[in-house]
Amino acid sequence: MREMLEHTPGRIYLLVLLISIVLMAVLVFMGITDAPADGEPLLVFGWMEMPLVVGVVFVIVWLIAYLIYFIKYWPYR
Amino acid sequence: MVDLIALGVFSLIIILMAAYGYRISAKTAEDYMLGGRTIGLVVMFFFVLFAISSSWTFYGFPGHLYLHGPGYVFFIWGSVAGFAALYMFLGPRLWALAKINRFLSPVEALAERYESKALRVILAVTMLAFIVPYVGVQPLGVGRGFEALTGLPLWVGATYTAVLLVILVILGGMRIVAWVNIFLGTVYVTALLGSLFWVIAVVFPDGGVVQAAQQILANQPENLSTPGPLGTYSSVLVIGTFVVGLLAFTWPHVVIGAMTARDKTLFKWFPLLIFIFGGLFFYIIPYVWGSVVAPAVMPGVTDVAEADRIVQTIIQTVLPRWFGVFVLMGVIAAAVSTAAVQLMTSSIIVARDVIQGVFKPDANDAEITLWARLSVIAIVVLSLSVTVVVSLGLGDEAMALYLTDVSVPGFAQWGPALVGGLLWKRGTRQGAIAATLTGTIWLVLGLLITNDAGQRILLLDLHPVILTLFLNTVVYIVVSLLTEKPSEEIEDVFFTEVDDYLRSER
Repeated sequence: MREMLEHTPGRIYLLVLLISIVLMAVLVFMGITDAPADGEPLLVFGWMEMPLVVGVVFVIVWLIAYLIYFIKYWPYR
Repeated sequence: MVDLIALGVFSLIIILMAAYGYRISAKTAEDYMLGGRTIGLVVMFFFVLFAISSSWTFYGFPGHLYLHGPGYVFFIWGSVAGFAALYMFLGPRLWALAKINRFLSPVEALAERYESKALRVILAVTMLAFIVPYVGVQPLGVGRGFEALTGLPLWVGATYTAVLLVILVILGGMRIVAWVNIFLGTVYVTALLGSLFWVIAVVFPDGGVVQAAQQILANQPENLSTPGPLGTYSSVLVIGTFVVGLLAFTWPHVVIGAMTARDKTLFKWFPLLIFIFGGLFFYIIPYVWGSVVAPAVMPGVTDVAEADRIVQTIIQTVLPRWFGVFVLMGVIAAAVSTAAVQLMTSSIIVARDVIQGVFKPDANDAEITLWARLSVIAIVVLSLSVTVVVSLGLGDEAMALYLTDVSVPGFAQWGPALVGGLLWKRGTRQGAIAATLTGTIWLVLGLLITNDAGQRILLLDLHPVILTLFLNTVVYIVVSLLTEKPSEEIEDVFFTEVDDYLRSER
């Protein structure tokens, strides 16, 4: 992590990871994983509950950020 | 009879692998404890994934989802991020540091970093105190599986697992524990995924998992969102659960895995496997079991222990008996793969940090290895007390909460010293000792002291890790800044040399 903080791509990478956590927390506090007050729980593809969808999107964001940083900018070549 | 023969063959494969490992091992402490630091990417992945995917993923995790709805899955999202973070951020430095200085345990590395034998003892005792009961939960899980499938008492399955563990760890050491995890992991994934597909095909032939979800939507829609049917998972608890998962980077049996790596490129590719195979595939299987399939197939269970067994109960009810035996093998595989790594880690801490670090500083390689093997037996015997406690009706059966409420907060208490020791030059011995003691003592008292309403008043009735880790971190930073900074020699050895090594090593 020390080495990541020493160059711009590393700092951007860490920032993306941090923002993804903050955004997820904001969405949860906004009630994205709850059922609507007057409706049924939202199911993506007919079976994926929102806590699963939110988590899968979160992992995909980390995966994409990781692929870009580690393939192009990993400091220990 | 066929059940016992199948389980016998399964055990024999593990024992033969352990014996083979003993034959090819270099008979050195480094070889026994860290697999000679030769573990490659694929073996490492199975090693770590199935070190953390215990029988909890078969019982506790789906059981908790079944009772409380999908909010608990945020523990998984946190864990995936935490494990990836360990290998992205801390792993390379810990690996390089241990390789350059021939450290055999992460506790040893931190004790040298902070120049403190007292810290070595504190960290060793803390880690052992929280890891040994967790080892004990694994035989308990298998005991439950035996009980449900064969009707044999709990202790039979637990003892079977304990014996298998002792043979595997004593003979095989870390290398074979890692290799066996490939076999065990394959059995477990096949059993868990195969049973899921088969049950869905039998019970929901028309619409599969969509049909199951729609059935829950019609009858118990509160099971499909937070806060869940009992109103447990508020937004605060969901995020708290995520944070608890994030602390997976402090699990000692996972941290030590980083020290066994063959080279630094492992740390480049390892997170890819965690994200794809772990986050987007493996953990989804027990999630679908506990959150969608089980509530649709068998609704109405309210007892915690019964909920923990829900997946096995459904498999035994819906599928042929022979498949139940295969699934039990999967459960044994999950339990053994985790407990073996925990046992290895515990025995290394006992032999290297307690015996050699405190009582016998001049012990040679053969003596340390012998102590490690002896401690395996002692730890297994001690951990079986968990089964005894549950058998006598004295203990709580909720496996999910043991992991997240006791073990994880306990492991987290070395987090600030670990992260600070590897990344922050200003972290001091006094800071590490004061912080670890504060967090651990507060945690233990907090878990023990409750008011009349059963609330943990010292923990402000929050999750045990929140206040304790906050205090631990604050004390670490404040005391470190108030005390004299570490010597230049420490800075050279633990930062400059590590940086140079990581940048130059091919």
